[in-house]
Amino acid sequence: MRLKFVLCFGITIVALTVSLSPVLAHHGWSGNSDKEFELSGTVESAVSLAGPHATMKVRSNGQIWDITLAPPPRTEAAGLKEGVIPVGAKVTIQGHRNLDPKKFEIKTERVIWNGHTYNVYPDRK
Amino acid sequence: MISEFMAWLQNSPLGHAMRESGVWTYAIVNLTHILGVATLFGAVLVLDLRLLGVWRRVTLAAIAEPAVPVATMGFFIAAASGVCLLATKATDYIGNPFLYIKFPAIGLGLLNVVVLNCLPAWKERKIRNLSQREQSQLAVAGGISLLCWLTAITAGRMIGYW
Repeated sequence: MRLKFVLCFGITIVALTVSLSPVLAHHGWSGNSDKEFELSGTVESAVSLAGPHATMKVRSNGQIWDITLAPPPRTEAAGLKEGVIPVGAKVTIQGHRNLDPKKFEIKTERVIWNGHTYNVYPDRK
Repeated sequence: MISEFMAWLQNSPLGHAMRESGVWTYAIVNLTHILGVATLFGAVLVLDLRLLGVWRRVTLAAIAEPAVPVATMGFFIAAASGVCLLATKATDYIGNPFLYIKFPAIGLGLLNVVVLNCLPAWKERKIRNLSQREQSQLAVAGGISLLCWLTAITAGRMIGYW
């Protein structure tokens, strides 16, 4: 009886985990396209090193894009500190855009500005 | 209503402090949240399994004595750190469906605590043996508790994956 109960409990947790795994989006890259995506535009709001991920906003052809960078310590380690790139500067973003066409969001690998590449995910191609 | 509350929370001094006090702040507060949740759920799991009838040789009073204060401590650590995490970018979570599962589950879990504390079977656990009926009553409370906290934790974890 007791063993059966513990077993049922364990199976429930495993089943919950497995059934929910397709929704992984934010933490993994599975919610974003496999294809490399490049966007050029001007900085709409500067780099923020607030958690859980550093962010910035870029305007391109009138559309404002959410730029998701690496977690704050890693973004800072790549040299992308707050205030380095001024608002209005021309930047190029390389990464993977959100699979939802209504979401203008890019999980970013590299930010290129003024001839310098900030590689926030140097282990990703 | 929720949008306004989230905007207010994000613009509060707490929100500013979370965003502007160093690159490791979020990670450390997140760690605190996990420790709080682990403390809460670890204690709740042991108590709820006993209420459900596992480890009958150990008296309920003996298990409740450490489990209740540990769970309470865990809850307050998790709640305090959780508000900080939410305040960092509160408006980002407005459309997140898991948030609307998590908070009602926490509410129900707390309501269940209140109900349990009103049951004579719970109040008199130290001074007398409980009837079969009362034990079943407590088992129901234990089952609801387990369901509420598992739901809250599962939905809470999924918030970040939306």
